[in-house]
Amino acid sequence: MAGAAAAERRVIRVLLVEDEEIHRFLARALLRDAGGVELSEAWNGAEAVRRVREGGAYDLILTDRQMPVMDGHEATRQIRALGVTTPIVGLSSDSLAADADAFIKAGADHFTPKPLSKEKLDNILAKFNLA
Amino acid sequence: MDYSNLRRQIISMKKSLFDQGYLDEQFNQLEELQDDSSPNFVEEVVALFFKDSSRLLTNIERALEKYPQDFYRLDSLAHQFKGSGSSIGALRMKNECSMFKAHCSDRNLEGCRRSLQKMKREHATLKQKLETYFQLLRQVGPRERAVNSWK
Repeated sequence: MAGAAAAERRVIRVLLVEDEEIHRFLARALLRDAGGVELSEAWNGAEAVRRVREGGAYDLILTDRQMPVMDGHEATRQIRALGVTTPIVGLSSDSLAADADAFIKAGADHFTPKPLSKEKLDNILAKFNLA
Repeated sequence: MDYSNLRRQIISMKKSLFDQGYLDEQFNQLEELQDDSSPNFVEEVVALFFKDSSRLLTNIERALEKYPQDFYRLDSLAHQFKGSGSSIGALRMKNECSMFKAHCSDRNLEGCRRSLQKMKREHATLKQKLETYFQLLRQVGPRERAVNSWK
């Protein structure tokens, strides 16, 4: 059971950067199901950058691409410019290679197409030794 | 109440939704996340989708009526719609959004208009079918609504 495994690891701090409620709702449920997650949310890239700049420490940042005010690519660039090495995973409803490439070029560590699923989340957590 | 008959109807209806391509595996993922602590999770996510999607369809329709058309904005709206639909496993909706986006990319106004009409039809059909599905689920009640029973 995910809960049992989660009980054996420390709490992981996740920043979810997503403007649309339906995606936040789903991600919250998946992260709750994974267990042992302290979740923070930012509704756009600018908010995410502000949180990180003001000392927010995260073990994982999940960021959407298309958002108002500041998109995920720019947020990734700015977070990396702050010297933050937290794993950043880009999310997008398009699964085009160009989308993934743009995220990686901006400084993200990984890209996964939406919708987020238990399997995709498990893979992300395993990839960054957060499982 | 004849629960076994209701269960059969629910299973049959869900199978039909998958067989006819209205839903994909993502819907099963949502049902896996439903539990005692969030007993109405699937219905809540679906409600969020229909709230979002109704607004997006209206915005797409308005954007198509403007001149000159802003295909970048139209693509952006369709992108949101596609993402929202994919969250609940709305396969046909997702595919039609991809078609709409392709027409935007080609700056094909007539193609966009035709695609929007299809999106509206698919949207209405899916809404009606899911409302029926959830009505049946409500009849069996939370105790019987163990997620894996419906697989």
